[in-house]
Amino acid sequence: MSSPPAFSSVRISGCWALGPDGGSSAESLDRLYPAVGSTKPPRKRTTSQCKSEPPLLRTSKRTIYTAGRPPWYNEHGTQSKEAFVIGLGGGSASGKTTVATMIIEALDVPWVVLLSMDSFYKVLTKQQQEQAASNDFNFDHPDAFDFDLIIATLKKLKQGKSVKIPIYDFTTHSRKKEWKTLYGANVIIFEGIMAFADKELLKLLDLKIFVDTDSDIRLVRRLRRDISERGRDIEGVIKQYNKFVKPAFDQYIQPTMRLADIVVPRGSGNTVAIDLIVQHVHSQLEERELSVRAALASAHQCHPLPQTLSVLKSTPQVRGMHTIIRNKETSRDEFIFYSKRLMRLLIEHALSLLPFQSCTVQTPQGQDYEGRTYSGKQITGVSILRAGETMEPALRAVCKDVRIGTILIQTNCNTGEPELHYLRLPKDISEDHVILMDCTVSTGAAAMMAVRVLLDHDVPEDKIFLLSLLMAEMGVHSVAYAFPRVKIITTAVDKKVNDLFRIIPGIGNFGDRYFGTDAPPDWSDDEDALST
Amino acid sequence: MEAMPCQNQRLGPRPQDEQPPPTATATTGSGSRLIRFAEPGEDSGCPSPDSSSSSNGVAAAAIPAGEGGATPIGPQLKLLPMNDQLRELQTIIRDKKSSRGDFVFSADRLIRLVVEEGLNQLPYTECTVTTPTGHKYEGVRFEKGNCGVSIMRSGEAMEQGLRDCCRSIRIGKILIQSDEETQRAKVYYAKFPPDIYRRKVLLMYPILSTGNTVIEAVKVLVEHGVQPSVIILLSLFSTPHGAKSIIQEFPEITILTTEVHPVAPTHFGQKYFGTD
Repeated sequence: MSSPPAFSSVRISGCWALGPDGGSSAESLDRLYPAVGSTKPPRKRTTSQCKSEPPLLRTSKRTIYTAGRPPWYNEHGTQSKEAFVIGLGGGSASGKTTVATMIIEALDVPWVVLLSMDSFYKVLTKQQQEQAASNDFNFDHPDAFDFDLIIATLKKLKQGKSVKIPIYDFTTHSRKKEWKTLYGANVIIFEGIMAFADKELLKLLDLKIFVDTDSDIRLVRRLRRDISERGRDIEGVIKQYNKFVKPAFDQYIQPTMRLADIVVPRGSGNTVAIDLIVQHVHSQLEERELSVRAALASAHQCHPLPQTLSVLKSTPQVRGMHTIIRNKETSRDEFIFYSKRLMRLLIEHALSLLPFQSCTVQTPQGQDYEGRTYSGKQITGVSILRAGETMEPALRAVCKDVRIGTILIQTNCNTGEPELHYLRLPKDISEDHVILMDCTVSTGAAAMMAVRVLLDHDVPEDKIFLLSLLMAEMGVHSVAYAFPRVKIITTAVDKKVNDLFRIIPGIGNFGDRYFGTDAPPDWSDDEDALST
Repeated sequence: MEAMPCQNQRLGPRPQDEQPPPTATATTGSGSRLIRFAEPGEDSGCPSPDSSSSSNGVAAAAIPAGEGGATPIGPQLKLLPMNDQLRELQTIIRDKKSSRGDFVFSADRLIRLVVEEGLNQLPYTECTVTTPTGHKYEGVRFEKGNCGVSIMRSGEAMEQGLRDCCRSIRIGKILIQSDEETQRAKVYYAKFPPDIYRRKVLLMYPILSTGNTVIEAVKVLVEHGVQPSVIILLSLFSTPHGAKSIIQEFPEITILTTEVHPVAPTHFGQKYFGTD
């Protein structure tokens, strides 16, 4: 591609974002693909930050995001199937992106990532930069791409790991300092002119599609795009086309057509071809569908509780607080107060299980004192929304300046499966001890998903501490079985889970009771006024 | 729960001089209903050492080996179960290089833990409640009739910790200063809830050095009709000597602390309030 695009961003599938996404900050941002049927194309080529409407389902009581990511791992906690990678090749301006968009729309599955080769241009030397300025640098040569990085990135992404994508700045021909984090794809669409130019890379592609568009059409598109959208002059574009784009196509791109599984003539106009592709991908995805909660519910019962479980000592105060927060008659004010007190004890207890080392300090009394000090790098909190959020203040109260990330996981009403909807983690958490907070763990399905997310972000298993006010034995077993090195810390373990996956005797819906979203219509507001 | 309140049922099998194990190992049981009971008020004064070194929870009368006093002081002295986290807080408080911010932060955390443990010493009764799922939960209910008393001024540092756990608890105050000439602790001021004689008292004073201040404070409480057996002294650090003196004077008192060490961090009050 001799005319570098005028944008500099990772292209990903249509996304919506909760909260202000600066784009520059390297937090993990997960992209959901909005439900199909919207008349507007949800994705624009020139931005990765398009704010299309999230897919919503509103009932009288609550709002549900319908496009969460279902489990991508099995009950053993490991990723059972790799993500499905579609490679999309073809000449410059052949309509690859349009085809990709159409496939994504027709697929109608959440968690599609669109990865563009444009992000992986090599950083140019000064001399090369000067060439580029005078249209003399060949961007249409395999050497212009960093294939090692592409392969490493695609491999990791395929394994479900979080990856960092460089952001290529086409004005300076270098990578921006902040890289973008991509995570959580069930389907990856990888597109670029040289998509099939590397043998190693070819092995990673599950489906190879070549978009074949007549060269005169491509030239017309290029002229239109470069002149009207990128302000280039006609001479420069034609010079570039003749010098680089055309030879590159003949030499490197055209020959790769025979490697493709499917050749799509006429590009995006070919709806029949796209229908066929989508059908194929769907059948592939169906093979990968998982039902985790059912597997959890039946697995590993009646075992002794695992060694990694640590239950807060059941002192009279702890039991007293449990009595208050479990009682359905308890007012919200008291519920909040006593659950907060209990959380504080839980977090203090959890911190005592961190690694420590000896240290000697001087005292004002003139004698040395043999003490202990935390020996890890730092502590990061991650709360599983919504209920886990309520534990954040308690964590902040004992860990100064602690970084806190959030994960939103909701249960799909139809399938009963947990789905990952949103994720925002502090950057570089792989060396931290991560305190993962959720108020109640019944089957463990949501907790497992959250642990899986952390593992995908390279947090070592033994540095994850799962904290919960109340757990059911089933949840303890599920998490411990899938992740035997994750520390599980709670204040009480109840025996049973009912058919609705509620803990028995339990505590009710913690989030509803804490936030007051369970209030019956005749609820009076007097209580709010009294609470202090 | 099997154990009736107001009795020390759990016998301590552990040797007295042993440090309690980290809490983690003791609690891994499934829904362990081990209830440590400690109710000093109704106990017949001074329980025998055997009956009160409870097997789980506060280590009674055990001075950790190699940490100063080698002789057990008595079952009245209870230590918070030691763990690394607690030791780190103690380290920050003792470190003279700690900033005041870190010092106060750590002190407040330690105070909160002591207060929580102190509340465990109060009496409770069994009760059953219904959870939102419609099932019964057998729990406990705490009894009314408690109050806090802080010994000014460093004891006031602990008031907030108590307040954070018991929102509406009554708190009395005693001002005691050392007489400059005689070095004797002298009571300047005392203000208590009027019915303090029928309440359990959580007496707050962070550093027990000689114990004289606390002895004077308890005398004042006794003058107001409080039995020493219902007084629970909440402190952070104690010297063996200080704890011993108090127990000698009032054998029925309960003392809760996090560390017994010959050197007390006597800079506590000044650094906490920034008056150094």
